Amino acid sequence: MTPAEPPSGIGNGAVAIRVAGLQKNYAGVKAVRGIDFEVRKGEIFGLIGPDGAGKTTTFQILAGVMEATAGTATIFNMAAREARQETGYLTQTFSLYPDLTVAENIRYVGDLRLIPRAEIELRGNRYLTMFDMDRFTDRLAGRLSGGMKQKLALACALVAQPQVLLLDEPTTGVDPVSRREFWDTLAHLAIDGLTILVATPYLDEAERCHRVALMHEGTIHQTGTPSELRGSLGAKRLEVHTAALSEAEDVLSGHHDGILDVQRFGDRLDVIVREPVEGQRQVKLLLGAANIAIDSVRVDEPALENTFVATLRAIGREVKSPRYPGLHPHRDIMGQIAIGATNLTRHFGAFTAVQDVSVEVKYGEIYGLLGANGAGKTTTIKMLCGLIEPSTGRMELAGESGSLRSREVRQKLGYMSQKFSLYDDLTISENLNFFGGVYGLSSDEIETKKRWVLEFAGLEGKETALTGSLPGGWKQRVAFGASIMHEPSVLFLDEPTSGVDPLARRAFWRMINQLADMGTAILVTTHYLEEAEQCNRLGFMVAGSIVAEGTPGGVKRAQTGHLIETITTEPQRAADILRTDGERWRISLFGDRIHNVTDGDAETSMRETRATLAAAGIGVLEAREIPWSLEDVFIAVVEKAKREERLAAK
Amino acid sequence: MRRILAQARKELIQITRDKLALTLALVLPIALLMLLGSSISLSVTELPLVVQDLDNSAASRSLLEAFRNSLTFHVVAWPVNKPPMEAFTANEARAALIIDRGFGRALARGGDAQAQILIDASDSNTAKLIQGYSSQIVNAWNSTAGGAQRLLPVKALIRLWYNPGRVTKKFYGPGIFVLGLSMFPPLLAALAMSREGEQQTLLQVYVSSIPAHQFLLGKILAFMVIGFAEWVIMLGLLFTYFGLSFAGDPTPFFVASILYFFCVATYGTMIGAAIPSQAAAIQAVALGGFLLVFLLSGLIFPVENIPPGLRWISNFVWGRYYMEIVRDALLEGGGWAAMWFNVLVIGIIGGVFFLLSWRRMRRMQLSI
Amino acid sequence: MIAKLFGGRMAALLGKEFAQIGRDKRLRISLILPPTLQLLLFGFALNATVDNLRLGIVDFDHSRESRDLIAAMTQSGAFRSAGAFTSAETLGTGISQGKVDAGIVLPVNFSKDLHRGHQVGVQVLLNAMNANTAAIAQGYTQGVLGTWNQVMLKSGSLHARFTQIGAVPRDLRGIVTLHPAFIFNPGLVSSWFVVTGTFGLLLILNGSLVASAAMVKEREAGTVEQLLMTPAGTGEIIVAKIAPLFVLLCGMVLFATTLIKVVFQIPFRGNLVIVFLGAALCVLCGIAIGTFLATFTRTARQAQLMSFFVNPPLSSLSGALTPVEAMPHWMQPLTILNPIRHFGVITRAALLKGSSIDILWPNILALAAITLVLLSLSVWRFRKQLG
Repeated sequence: MTPAEPPSGIGNGAVAIRVAGLQKNYAGVKAVRGIDFEVRKGEIFGLIGPDGAGKTTTFQILAGVMEATAGTATIFNMAAREARQETGYLTQTFSLYPDLTVAENIRYVGDLRLIPRAEIELRGNRYLTMFDMDRFTDRLAGRLSGGMKQKLALACALVAQPQVLLLDEPTTGVDPVSRREFWDTLAHLAIDGLTILVATPYLDEAERCHRVALMHEGTIHQTGTPSELRGSLGAKRLEVHTAALSEAEDVLSGHHDGILDVQRFGDRLDVIVREPVEGQRQVKLLLGAANIAIDSVRVDEPALENTFVATLRAIGREVKSPRYPGLHPHRDIMGQIAIGATNLTRHFGAFTAVQDVSVEVKYGEIYGLLGANGAGKTTTIKMLCGLIEPSTGRMELAGESGSLRSREVRQKLGYMSQKFSLYDDLTISENLNFFGGVYGLSSDEIETKKRWVLEFAGLEGKETALTGSLPGGWKQRVAFGASIMHEPSVLFLDEPTSGVDPLARRAFWRMINQLADMGTAILVTTHYLEEAEQCNRLGFMVAGSIVAEGTPGGVKRAQTGHLIETITTEPQRAADILRTDGERWRISLFGDRIHNVTDGDAETSMRETRATLAAAGIGVLEAREIPWSLEDVFIAVVEKAKREERLAAK
Repeated sequence: MRRILAQARKELIQITRDKLALTLALVLPIALLMLLGSSISLSVTELPLVVQDLDNSAASRSLLEAFRNSLTFHVVAWPVNKPPMEAFTANEARAALIIDRGFGRALARGGDAQAQILIDASDSNTAKLIQGYSSQIVNAWNSTAGGAQRLLPVKALIRLWYNPGRVTKKFYGPGIFVLGLSMFPPLLAALAMSREGEQQTLLQVYVSSIPAHQFLLGKILAFMVIGFAEWVIMLGLLFTYFGLSFAGDPTPFFVASILYFFCVATYGTMIGAAIPSQAAAIQAVALGGFLLVFLLSGLIFPVENIPPGLRWISNFVWGRYYMEIVRDALLEGGGWAAMWFNVLVIGIIGGVFFLLSWRRMRRMQLSI
Repeated sequence: MIAKLFGGRMAALLGKEFAQIGRDKRLRISLILPPTLQLLLFGFALNATVDNLRLGIVDFDHSRESRDLIAAMTQSGAFRSAGAFTSAETLGTGISQGKVDAGIVLPVNFSKDLHRGHQVGVQVLLNAMNANTAAIAQGYTQGVLGTWNQVMLKSGSLHARFTQIGAVPRDLRGIVTLHPAFIFNPGLVSSWFVVTGTFGLLLILNGSLVASAAMVKEREAGTVEQLLMTPAGTGEIIVAKIAPLFVLLCGMVLFATTLIKVVFQIPFRGNLVIVFLGAALCVLCGIAIGTFLATFTRTARQAQLMSFFVNPPLSSLSGALTPVEAMPHWMQPLTILNPIRHFGVITRAALLKGSSIDILWPNILALAAITLVLLSLSVWRFRKQLG
């Protein structure tokens, strides 16, 4: 397990994967339209793009399970199909057998690849120990959490000791804690010389790749290291904090030279400007003219997402967000309690899924419920919207506290579950007619709303297409439209934007904000923590309880510790050393940078880190305190809650 | 070989984990054998018979007594003034015996006395049996009580072979045994195969670069084991509850059984490979496994009865050949001399199925 | 009008279900293909007719009389000649190897004995493996030999001893001849029985299969929660799901009826309304069974596998393919609970015999009662699951 080569050598090794002019056409659809890229040995290369970008097709060709229409895909100069013995492939569904145990899954894959029985055992145990899963060898794969399934799938792929690892959206449906652990593992493996090609729709994950390619509709638009891509934008990001977000957004969104983009979050606006000083001045001027008070402005680097958005805009992929034709706004009840849950507890047999949860959401508020898999999020949302009854506790919903299942209450609710909201075997138009009709809308109103949904989804003239034939992102938009046709006063959104591209995600949030401005109470769950920034208030769930609650800024400020970023000459070894005297979760590796969460004073911590690493002969190039991201907060909160639970158990 | 065994081992583990499938594989065949073995029968008894004795003589009463004493009929009273047809439309009788006036006098004269039996022929097979039984009763009555008590030139010495008691279940038992073997192993095999496609685990197999024939053989082997388990259980039932035993040399039966396990397991695998949807695969297997074997292999009625337009299909029905072998082994005892061709055909059909599934899978990659 | 009645919501639910079913190609196929195949295959393949049995002949006598008897046997329609065998042993081998179904052995002095006034025993071997065939073949053989005897006696070419009558009571000197008359089906067409039975079988089996798939679909696709969040009531959801299935399956009833009439030429002697009433009840019954199964399962696969546990008892205890009277006695009462049995009685009586409603009302009542019980049970379970 010694590093094969120094991190500075990454990207200089031999070419491991070479894709040239690759094309794939299915019955009339051009899934991949001629892409080129090279991945060097030991590199983590990210293929970033929304659903339908052509990532899976590229992976299937590279894994040798599909033939290309044109172009070549080689692995170590062998045709992909001939190189299968060198390849490990994680499909989106992980391709595990749910009715086999962890050990049986590993053994089956090992046997198929003709690895000596003793070696299978040895390697299997090694990886399971490494992934902290050695206690679960006899558990059925179907009973594992999303994060553990992902690790098992990785262990299965690694048992054959491949040279190249192909990971197709390995973190979809996996919670942030497991996701971070997974990326730590990948960083480790890459340093051992493994070449990793990974696809992901999450732009924050792209930050952890050595190089990334932005892919959209079968074409690669930009390739480079994350900082190159960020730099290519040639712009800075201003975080503008103000109380009047909606008005400020309207003022700044008008076309102004120098302001490239405005994005609204839960308690701030992000304004992308060409030049920080001039931009700041312009923002202050514009907002001042409109009598909007500014609390603070902070200058930061743009995120990768900003780059991707700019790229998509450059190719004319702007997503429209037409004004919602709201006929019955709920502004008069704004500020009243829409969802009021007091001490909800729910048992399933002997298991307590939710313990003592209290949530209050007012009309006009966007509340985000965050939590790892199995934290009780789904059970909570089902109780909040009346689908299941709490074992104990009091519920008030849309002004009703007695029968939450009454027709009157349901008429006021809107609900969109992650991927099961529409009927695949109906056309878009039929789906919308159904949801309009079942909520008793007049046919005129159905027509108006239908036109709006089609425009919002960018599907005008395609209303007779079968819903099942739409790519995920489009479907999500139609589903969202369908769930708000009847203008609910309380809206539940369960992971509404999974698989949606950044532009569409913005359109979603613009619409969610519009609804909130109309007085709708909105409860949203998400795995995507960047997105959680857009909520007015957040609740973090761990093991069935809400352990932290507040505005995005509030929960960050509530963190007692500090976040330190350290850049060293040998990141992997440095991370290993730092981990030995702390809790694992406090250290994580982002490319060549180490993030360290410390509870003490920032200066002391940086001094200690320098000293520890110097003792091991590792030089520290730079160390500084950085602001908390929601993901850091989330992981810190979860880990601390777990530690307390463990202590309480003892 | 190691890959084949690993594949088979995995399939068997999966079967044991699926309670519904396991019940289907091991309990349902027994239930089916007991249930169908008992209920499929054409040997009717106690059929309701109405009689209208318009003569009411000593002779007519004696003949009626003969009908009353038979096990086949159960005599139901019917008013003389009511048309007997009404008993049929009301489902109260299956036949009506009418003895006309002058019956006794005709007999005393030594001439032919006429009696008529009306038979409800909406069930034609039962109607034929009624005809046969009633004429046998009348013949017997003629030769014991009537004027036919004389020397007949030719007398039939009928000998019933293989099943002298004409026990129905001895004939249907082996048939249902074959039906069970033709249905459940391929059903499970098809499910296992189409599930790999449906849940995309097949991709993992493709990446492992295992050759198609090894992958298929591993799967087939597992379901041959399932077939063997069912075979043992059901054969046990045939030997006990159905009172059957080997009638002759059982070796062709053993060889054919192994080939048949291969044949049906491969059939299921082939269907599963062609239809990557479990629900659709079930229907396809039910069609091939059940409908063809139940109807076109001579399970209930001889294949020869099927009109020629359909009969040719039965030449391709694998169950038909195996059914002949099983009945031969348990009833006729014809051995290799009688059955070598059937054994060969089962092997050939199994081989064809394997070739077809291999053709479908040979590239071991996504077909689009 | 209807839309007004149900406040638009019912119309939306019905519209959705009809559109989904209308687009379901597999469902459409499974409403046409299996019933057609089942009717045709069952109707043609399950043929009880015993004819053309292969008769092996061993004729040691080679006389005019022996040839005459053989001709009488093979011209009867029940048997056809499958060639001559040299000995009883080779004939036995022929039977055991399945080359012939029956055999007749005519002894050496066949004609000589007849002329001398000795009774001759003719050995007839029957493969009785198939009990039914053997019973009918036995009847045929007796009949052929009986007729041959009569003909020989009347021709007067035999020894006088055969015409002497034994000592019998004075009033029973004659012979009784039984004249059979086949009512309702004089041609003894086998398919008339099978097809009228299969009709009910296919309604219930296909109905339950289609229904279980439709009912489990929403849960398998995960859309059920979305539906439950709408103001639609569980009662409305169930009615909206059942209604289009009912309409479609009634279409299948018409299709099958046409097939029965056109292909099998079954006479429609009675009131077709009774048959359609029974068929509609059967369809509902099938839907109820399917819905009930669906409430125990989460996937279409499981629902279909469940049907393997329900269909065999349903079909084998129905009297659809074999007469109920042929079942063991303890089993026969169980068929009272089987909707297929009642429908079989109704179709056979109404179509073939022209029975009227005043005779069939007990069966219709029983069918309605079974349907009602099953339907309430499955709706109750389905609602409980939705709620």
